Amino acid sequence: MTSGKEKFGPALLALILALIAGGLVIAVIHDPLMAFLRTPSSAEGYDADRMVFVYATLPRLAIAALCGAGLAGAGAIMQFVLRNPLASPTTLGVEAGARVALAIATVAAPGLLGFGRDLVAISGSAITTGLVFLLVRRRGFEPVATVIAGLIVGLFCGALAALLGLVEARQMTAVFLWGSGSLSQQGWSPFVGLALRLGLVSLALLPLLRSLAVLQLGDEGARGLGLSVARLRFVAIAIASIMTGFVVSMVGVIGFVGLVAPALARLAGARRLGAQLGWSILLGALMLLITDAAVQLFAGQYSEFLPTGAVTAVLGSPLLLLLIRRMKPSAPPAIAPPPNWSDSPAPRTPVVLMGLGLLVVVALLVGRGPAGDWSLPFGAWGAVAVWRLPRILASGAAGALLALSGVVLQRLTRNELASPEVLGVSAGALLAVALSLLLFGEIGVAGDAMTAVGGGMVVLLLILALGRRSGFAPDHMLLAGIAVSALADALVGVLTAVGDPRSMRLLGWMSGSVAGVSLEAAVLTMLAASVALIAALVLRRWLELLRLGPEAARGLGVNLTRARLSLLLLAALTSTAAMPILGPVTFIGLVAPHIVMTLGLRKLRSVLFAAAGTGAAIMIGADWLARTVSFPLQLPTGLVAALLGAPALMLLLNRRARS
Amino acid sequence: MEGKSKLFLTRRNLVGAIACTALLPSSLGASKAAQRVAVLDWAIAETLFALGEPPIALVAASDWNRFVVEPRLPAGTADIGVQQEVNFELLAALHPDLILTSPFSQDQEPALARIAPVRRFTVFEPTSTPLDRPRTLTRELGAMVGAERQAEALIAYTDAQLAACRTRLARLRLPPVLLVGFLDARHVRAYGGVGLYQNVLDTLGLQNAWTKPTNAWGFATTGIEGLATGKDVRLVAFQPVPPDALPTLAQSPLWRELPFVKAGHMSILPPVLMFGALPAALRFARLLTTELERVAG
Repeated sequence: MTSGKEKFGPALLALILALIAGGLVIAVIHDPLMAFLRTPSSAEGYDADRMVFVYATLPRLAIAALCGAGLAGAGAIMQFVLRNPLASPTTLGVEAGARVALAIATVAAPGLLGFGRDLVAISGSAITTGLVFLLVRRRGFEPVATVIAGLIVGLFCGALAALLGLVEARQMTAVFLWGSGSLSQQGWSPFVGLALRLGLVSLALLPLLRSLAVLQLGDEGARGLGLSVARLRFVAIAIASIMTGFVVSMVGVIGFVGLVAPALARLAGARRLGAQLGWSILLGALMLLITDAAVQLFAGQYSEFLPTGAVTAVLGSPLLLLLIRRMKPSAPPAIAPPPNWSDSPAPRTPVVLMGLGLLVVVALLVGRGPAGDWSLPFGAWGAVAVWRLPRILASGAAGALLALSGVVLQRLTRNELASPEVLGVSAGALLAVALSLLLFGEIGVAGDAMTAVGGGMVVLLLILALGRRSGFAPDHMLLAGIAVSALADALVGVLTAVGDPRSMRLLGWMSGSVAGVSLEAAVLTMLAASVALIAALVLRRWLELLRLGPEAARGLGVNLTRARLSLLLLAALTSTAAMPILGPVTFIGLVAPHIVMTLGLRKLRSVLFAAAGTGAAIMIGADWLARTVSFPLQLPTGLVAALLGAPALMLLLNRRARS
Repeated sequence: MEGKSKLFLTRRNLVGAIACTALLPSSLGASKAAQRVAVLDWAIAETLFALGEPPIALVAASDWNRFVVEPRLPAGTADIGVQQEVNFELLAALHPDLILTSPFSQDQEPALARIAPVRRFTVFEPTSTPLDRPRTLTRELGAMVGAERQAEALIAYTDAQLAACRTRLARLRLPPVLLVGFLDARHVRAYGGVGLYQNVLDTLGLQNAWTKPTNAWGFATTGIEGLATGKDVRLVAFQPVPPDALPTLAQSPLWRELPFVKAGHMSILPPVLMFGALPAALRFARLLTTELERVAG
């Protein structure tokens, strides 16, 4: 890079954005400003337009710029400190944490919100950021792993929010609105308050800047200068998270500004920390200003409320795709090499399968009677056959499908955080269902299922098309999936934020409800699971060789492209088959393979059988809990699995990290 | 909204079957066997209560008293979970004769059909005549449970009550009303368009101050600044109001200077079921009339 580009590149970009922003802002304020200037301020009586101009239009523009600046600053710090071009409040799950904390407070302790929305939001951010770090700390905050961990935590928060939304439907519109970030203002005090807070936090950052800049030399260099790299990282990330928490608590979630602004600043040529931070903040402010002014202009002609945060997410997620294409495919460290390659002597697979059988019997027999009493169904075999059997078979089979998909994906990508959720196929399905609901209205259960499968397939084809250039490099595949997930999330946000009754159906579909599944559907899912297991067994040589790394695999005579394509298709089809049953998010594809690994199974044949069995067992257990734990209230099985699965995953990864 | 294809046939058969069973008891006179009806929609449920044919099971029954308020839910009504996640096992154990759904819960119908015949009613439909759909719903439900006379009586009673409210209000000189529900300290839902509340305003001869468009369900989400108007209006907000909304707004100059805030022309009404039927309409009319009379002195 020439120093000329460093100097003028960002400035040129900022100038262009400033011109666009200026034009849009003028379009927004022109008429009221003229009216404002014409009327003398001492005019008698109440002037609605004047009040709206002074206390709504102007502060809204100001807070848009301020929030954009704050989020971009936080994103720039995160990207710099983690040396991760994909880090941001959105991708690290910081915003999701704030959102779910506000949702829980709304339902459980509304008084808390009156007391301190900030505190609630920041506590939520702190927890999710902590979880992401826990997930990736032993991988040295490697970019792809960090973003995937952020996505997992974000999906977990989304599942929790969706569950609250289903159970407390009548209180949750505000929370969904919050999750889509509206910049609507009614005075200057929020702006002043946020500016003060962000200013104070930035002051705390200033003395750190010098030390942080040294990080650019690499951890070794920084350590050589006597810095505690870990502590520095921690403090900087904490500051960035607090900044995000302040913004989110004030206006809600504004996705992707914190990712895109620093990325643009870097692409334009900002290199040093000071330059990156400064230009990111300016670009972020301009970007959010442009988006919000455009939303104000266009939303005026459209009767439905359009939250700005959802719009930034819709615009920002495709940019993530572009960023990915520019990234060199990195070779993530392989799944920790197993200590001993020989299969452990104890027959673990039969144990798993016997456990599964026992669980099926218990789930079939133990339930709760009409009075809420725990009961065995003596004399009520009808209920067992008609209701429990199909849902147990369906959830078990779908769990097995997802577990198999997870094993294949993790071996294929050599990334222990890869899962069907991360692949983007589920998100594509969700996107399709949301769009069809928005455009065509009701199309029935079967229609939804078809749309879901179709959407998943379209996204799969897109991702495959994108991946051709890189020879289906696993990293690129996963990140493309994340971009699709973000897009789906944003669209669901738009639908739920306005409280459209149809959004309840979407939430219902997303939540993975198996209660009313038919025996036919259950049997079909079981068939699909059997076919998937056989296919995985047939392809297992590729799976074993790919795990050794691409070079080694090629050396052993594997056609890399063909192998990757086939396995990717297998993983995608397998998870798509499970989706109409369990919805898009369960984490079973992550949790089951990890459990199998802690069992000590190494031989792929046993791994596949045991993973399918474990996946089925977890889902059947989750389904039993969903049915009984809050009786008579029934919970959606998919969400219960997600809520159990994410913490289990943390525990597993943490235990393995320690051992 | 109505599902076609497979459901069509079964529904048609059902309607026939129900028509037959409905004819039977009414021809037998007073000794009509009470049907055990389970309901997946609150508008249907409140109409059945008003017809004197209470359902035995209801979705989200535990929330009823908080959001519908009247009539109070009879203690014996079984709670069968939320609308999107019905407790089928429990419902089956209650042995209903008939299950009533609305388009909002149509996803559940294939499973419900395994328990008992299912019939779907349209509860929300934009019509030119105010309260047309709730009236039709009342007649349809009345015909189904063999309570045609009660249905006509309910409609006549509601109409008479609404007319009485209209006469009471006509004596007062009333400004347009702005009907809102607070979402948080920055946003409200403004009601109008084709919704139940607007239907009631039309019936009562009241003017709605919200003249901007609403969505297909009869409400618009807007920032508080969307309420700014120099005209003389009365703000009517429904409970629940989030605890931090009014204290936060008290610090906003935009809010404080609004003519209806400054003049104290603000009323807060208890909750009224928004996607409701005739009973909800009457409840809203009464609450509003009483409140407007109170503030008029």
